[in-house]
Amino acid sequence: MAFEDLLEDPVIQKYLHELVGPKGMPVAAAPPDGEVTDEELAEELGLELNDVRRALFILYENDLASYRRLRDEDSGWLTYLWTFKYENIPEKLEEEMHRLLDALEDRESYERDNEFYLCERCGIRFEFDEAMEFGFQCPECGDQVESMENTRLVDAMDERIATLRDELNVDHEREDAEA
Amino acid sequence: MSMAAIEEELSDDERAGLELIRESGGIHQSDFWKELDVSSRKGSRIVDSLADKELIQREETIYEGHNTYHLTPAPRDLDFSLLMAGDQLSPFIGDEEVDARSDAFSQWVMSLAYNE
Repeated sequence: MAFEDLLEDPVIQKYLHELVGPKGMPVAAAPPDGEVTDEELAEELGLELNDVRRALFILYENDLASYRRLRDEDSGWLTYLWTFKYENIPEKLEEEMHRLLDALEDRESYERDNEFYLCERCGIRFEFDEAMEFGFQCPECGDQVESMENTRLVDAMDERIATLRDELNVDHEREDAEA
Repeated sequence: MSMAAIEEELSDDERAGLELIRESGGIHQSDFWKELDVSSRKGSRIVDSLADKELIQREETIYEGHNTYHLTPAPRDLDFSLLMAGDQLSPFIGDEEVDARSDAFSQWVMSLAYNE
């Protein structure tokens, strides 16, 4: 098996699981060295050929596998020879960290710039304007909505934003200047 | 010390050297100092320092008939657990669009605030 170090990381396992789902996980979790056919994988792992193919194509779409096709001279059949490209995983996850950082920055300012009201019975949250429109009564149950504290959310986001910026070496002074 | 902190303490020459190696994706030491426009001795001092700090990797090789090193950027060892909030992975993985107001992200943020 290849890429053992990478696959020990629980976040990477979770990432692969997220992409290929539980049925594809036996394929994603055991990348062989060198090239392999879908039939070989299905036999080795005791899986349905369709599940193996589905997992391989998801990995391919995410740049984590590639294939080349060979045509059998006699039968004319095509064979797909697959190679796992897990060396791309760190780069992909770095990209995901940047996407997460952008979303956190966006969400943090939304949470900071708005006041929220909560219907405790329904667990629904309203922005100030919405709450006012409804006369501060929940449109579902009619209960009064209460002003909701979100400092803890904002603080937690601020902290993760700072850690991500530091880890990704994002120069926030420059970003702030651009904004 | 974090990678960012190490990089902040680099001299200007070291920083320029690291940039060159990262941008080229890999370069021979014999080309490195010429590109950087420094003496070969200085080039080799910069490489020693970057290699000691594990910012680059060097491998002995023969290039244009001479023994030299091939210099490549060290894989960046990022802390991927920053994608997690509690036991939830970033909801944007596998999705084309990033929606910072989505319910899935709200749940992730709640988990960040209350499960960590």
